[in-house]
Amino acid sequence: MKKIMGYRNIGLVFGLIGLLVLAAIITPSMFSVNAVISMLRNNAVYVFLAIGMMVVLVTGGIDLSIGATLALAGVACTSLMSSHGEIPTVVWVLLSLVIGMLCGAFNGFVVGYLKVVPMIATLGTMYIYRGLAFLLSGGQWWFPHQISESYQAWAAKRILGVPSILWISAIVFIIAAWFLNYRTSGRRIYAIGTNVESARVAGIKEARVRFLAFVISGALAGLAGMLFTSNYASCTYSIGDGYELQAVAICILGGVSITGGRGTVDGVLIGWLMMSVITQFISLLPGLSVWQKALQGAIIIIAVFINIAMARSSEKRFLKERGALL
Amino acid sequence: MNEQNYILELKDVVKTFGGVTALAGVQFQLKKGEIHALMGENGAGKSTFIKVITGVHQPDSGIMLLEGERITPRNTMDSAKLGIAAIYQHVTAFPDLSVTENIFMGQEIKNKLGMYDWRQMNKRAKELIEPLSKEIDVTKPMGSLSVAAQQLVEIAKALSRDARILIMDEPTASLTANECEELYAIAERLRNEGVSIILISHRFEDMYRLATRVTVFRDAQYIGCWDVDKISNQKLIGAMVGRELDQMYPEKTAKIGKTVLKVENISKEGYFKNISFEVKKGEILALTGLVGAGRTEVCQTIFGIMNPDSGKITLEGQEIRVKSPVEAFKQGIGLLPENRQTQGLINELPIYQNVSSADMNHFAKAHMLDEKAEIQNAIELCQKISLKAKDISAPPSSLSGGNQQKVVFAKLLSMPLKVLILDEPTKGIDVGAKYSIYEIMNELASNGYAIIMVSSEMPEVLGMADRIVVMKSGHVTGEFNSGEVSQEMIMAASLGEQRKEAKA
Amino acid sequence: MAGENKATVRDLTVKEKFKLSKFLVRWEMMLIYILILINLILAVARPGLYFNIGTIQSIIQSGLDLSPMVMGMVFVLMLGDIDVSIASIMVLSGMTTGLLYQNGAPVVAAVLAGILTGAACGAFNGVLIGYVKMPAVIVTISTSMLFRGIVEIILDVNSLKNFPAFYNAIGWRNWGIFPISMVLYVIITVIFFFILHKSTFGRQLYIVGNNPTTATYSGIRVERVKLIVFILMGVMAGIGSIFFVGRMGGGLSSSMGTGYEMDVIAICVLGGVSTNGGKGKVYGPFISTFIMAFLLYTLGLIGVDANTRKIVTGIVLLIAVLIPSINRQLVADIRLKVLYKNNKNIEALNLKTAAEVKGLKAEIARLKKEGAASDKIRKLEEKIVSLQNTCKEKTAQMKAELAEDARRNKERFS
Repeated sequence: MKKIMGYRNIGLVFGLIGLLVLAAIITPSMFSVNAVISMLRNNAVYVFLAIGMMVVLVTGGIDLSIGATLALAGVACTSLMSSHGEIPTVVWVLLSLVIGMLCGAFNGFVVGYLKVVPMIATLGTMYIYRGLAFLLSGGQWWFPHQISESYQAWAAKRILGVPSILWISAIVFIIAAWFLNYRTSGRRIYAIGTNVESARVAGIKEARVRFLAFVISGALAGLAGMLFTSNYASCTYSIGDGYELQAVAICILGGVSITGGRGTVDGVLIGWLMMSVITQFISLLPGLSVWQKALQGAIIIIAVFINIAMARSSEKRFLKERGALL
Repeated sequence: MNEQNYILELKDVVKTFGGVTALAGVQFQLKKGEIHALMGENGAGKSTFIKVITGVHQPDSGIMLLEGERITPRNTMDSAKLGIAAIYQHVTAFPDLSVTENIFMGQEIKNKLGMYDWRQMNKRAKELIEPLSKEIDVTKPMGSLSVAAQQLVEIAKALSRDARILIMDEPTASLTANECEELYAIAERLRNEGVSIILISHRFEDMYRLATRVTVFRDAQYIGCWDVDKISNQKLIGAMVGRELDQMYPEKTAKIGKTVLKVENISKEGYFKNISFEVKKGEILALTGLVGAGRTEVCQTIFGIMNPDSGKITLEGQEIRVKSPVEAFKQGIGLLPENRQTQGLINELPIYQNVSSADMNHFAKAHMLDEKAEIQNAIELCQKISLKAKDISAPPSSLSGGNQQKVVFAKLLSMPLKVLILDEPTKGIDVGAKYSIYEIMNELASNGYAIIMVSSEMPEVLGMADRIVVMKSGHVTGEFNSGEVSQEMIMAASLGEQRKEAKA
Repeated sequence: MAGENKATVRDLTVKEKFKLSKFLVRWEMMLIYILILINLILAVARPGLYFNIGTIQSIIQSGLDLSPMVMGMVFVLMLGDIDVSIASIMVLSGMTTGLLYQNGAPVVAAVLAGILTGAACGAFNGVLIGYVKMPAVIVTISTSMLFRGIVEIILDVNSLKNFPAFYNAIGWRNWGIFPISMVLYVIITVIFFFILHKSTFGRQLYIVGNNPTTATYSGIRVERVKLIVFILMGVMAGIGSIFFVGRMGGGLSSSMGTGYEMDVIAICVLGGVSTNGGKGKVYGPFISTFIMAFLLYTLGLIGVDANTRKIVTGIVLLIAVLIPSINRQLVADIRLKVLYKNNKNIEALNLKTAAEVKGLKAEIARLKKEGAASDKIRKLEEKIVSLQNTCKEKTAQMKAELAEDARRNKERFS
């Protein structure tokens, strides 16, 4: 019991439970197995985006270009797939990862080595990637009949009753948790974010770590692009517009500090679940589905507010401790 | 090469930053298994010295020998591998990472697959921490621990690297009496296990309890090294402050008048307690003590940057409550901040805009600035304090330190003030320029300002002030008239030495 | 005491006179060149264009629908903050006006209510950013969802079609040869010019943007300055809704104008406003608004469609932020790395020698001019050579030492 209460995301877990109870009372229909699965499936792409965003946020940056990266990778895969049906679909998964990594690498180069503020750098590349997506698509739409069964299967095929997109998210989640907790380069990301000065003094190469963070977030966004088109069996250049903000929102709900240093994959997972439940919950309430965006915005503001209030009170406690010394 | 049994030896180490000399060819010898105290005033060069040893800074010249072999660490990971570790007063680790990770940063335990072996690391960390403290949870983030606990973690970190040389920078400064005792015991145990310790402390008690030898730095120079039991308190203080008072100070002509500002029993949790003093018209009151004694915070409270928890401030007999710098200026209180680069100047804007920044409305009609009047006024003020600049529209970054400080002075002089608080007015300024700052101060006093000068420089305090208030750890520990006080008395008060004398 | 000091009163009057060569390479002048260049390209690509004033007018009209928000954003960026909620505020205040007008409120009241809505949204942002001290990015990301969410709640999938008639005029009509929107934009810019460059508030903005700590110590109420700037931003977004709805042909639905905040920020950055705060002029973004309008139109002419033009916007933005960072510091850093093996001591030695050599050379030039004896000059020249040689030797020696240290370190640490 003590161990459970000591879990650092315990507050988030309580928040999630509260939310679930509330939802269960008001809209019990939300909790059939099928409803839950479809809810998770509809939100699955956010797992990739939010984890990638978290990695960048932990270094103290932000990546606004992930929505556009998603579109670029999605369009590239869909268009090539529809004209080259004979190639095994696993190629498209790899291609989406490569495209995402290249996009991320460019961001990482501009931020890490050219020292441009992440916000502005990724704002610029957001335009560029979105434009490239359009160029590549030629403004075309792809509809379900143009998308092959085997391509769709990457997201839709049910294994043990669960769509494969959820299995893939679970795998990514595990890999991310493993990488960020057990690999040196993963831990360096946290070191940079928590105290750049100490990190530099300790000989950690700052630019390289920032570069890596953007490559990770790009790769995940690229993968999300392929899976998005596979999941919805449709594609156009404007997919994923505004998803970057949604990803930031999930991270904030998941307790990721936007000033860097703090953030866990499991926290992001809880934040993602909360956001999914809220979205689903609201959409089930009659006449309330239009409240979705406003409520999401309000929830994030409140979450950040609580975050700041807690930081301030711990600062006060610290001063009191010092006061006792005098 | 003379081998002797020195584990660490530094010869003629020089380090300069920009034009400022932080170390001017210092020596240091550390014997194997000894605790060696390093003492000196603020700014004597101790912290730079540590940073050179730990590889944070590379020396401009001079050599460092570890067991007779030359070493050149480039960062703390290098020095850690050489067996050198430092524990700082303000721990500068990774606050969001766990205790375990802080301990093992750069030398993590990995399994065959190259993965971090957290279980092993946590176990090792526990083993390292347990003898030092039973209460620290190694999986908690570093930032959630008390300062004392964080220091213990740093010690554990040093031990995990089989540190042979441990540097402790003011380890007891923020510890309670009990925590100090525990620390002493740990230090002694480490010494018995063969670790050599460099102890930097302002507390004589630390030195007497632990050290066998003491080295003193003063003004970036090596002064000497003595056996602790062969040197008296007085002699040691003499070595730390005993410079010849050969520097000239301008003669003070101001007439001292009535009390202007009176501070009674003000306290601020975590910073200072029950501070009282007063300053009169035409008087220069020095507020001195070691860095971190709470002097700057007292000034910021008077100026409204911080709000006191209790106490009373009166200005010309009337009680005032200053909640912000805006109100302070309205009441007639001005502050020359400690750090002119980050608090006093806007380097991107021309001098005249800096000068007028505190009192813009003076040059404005209906909120529109009259730039000509602004420039004219700035020129007059700057000429009065003989600012040396190309012209009034040059950016402050093009000026020397002393002239930058004059710009901040001019900013304060553009308003009708009664009290001027000068926080380290000559910090980082070369000797010639200091003199002209002193002249300005004297002239201001003659013009009827009441001046509070925060200063860590003993000669300056003695040369300039009419009265001297000494602070230590948030308390006033002495108040003197300038004619009847020596450097040694001030140093003793700022070290809180009266209390220790009984023990020594 | 200070007698001898006061004897020399320094001349501190502003000596630097207007210098044409300096003026011509300023950022804002660069923008004008770019604008002219684009127009030249246009003139070549479409020779007939410049005989048709109507086309020029429509280019300008099409680029000015977000212009009021550019000016608001200049102030926000000046603080070192950012506001990505402006497109949402714009739609929200447009909706307020539209609803009131549709339900019979007088034009003036409806329009004012819309602008006030913008101000209220801005105040909400400003309080959270200035007083609660939350980061501007997060606050405005959330409020952009909140404000647009409110529009979605109220409008749902409906759209508003009734707006005052002058909306359309601002979007599409001209006064004489000038588009109405352009005239209004010039007026707005002039007002903002006076606020930023001539008023006490503008000066406070520069101070806060450059160094908020110094601002506090100078008795500037930083929190209040931030609040005012965000309210002003809200007001400009409210006014922006007039331009925007007019341009949209008098219709408004909840999903309109997404991404406008990014366009506005791009224009500001291109206009020379630093996102770090404290740097920029009002006229830079004014010119770059037109650059964007003409650039996008030109691209359209040569067959690039609206969405692909985004690439150009992105590239322009990136280049605009990169140019200021290619400065002396960067060059010095690269030199340090390449020439001096990343060692500050070698760098210092070389720089010192270079400075000395330069001084000696100047001396030689002076002597030559005066026609001094040649042996004197020769002596100096010899001195230069010896200086350079010692420098080279020392550099080589230090580099060797470094290499030796590196080798030893490698041995020790591997």
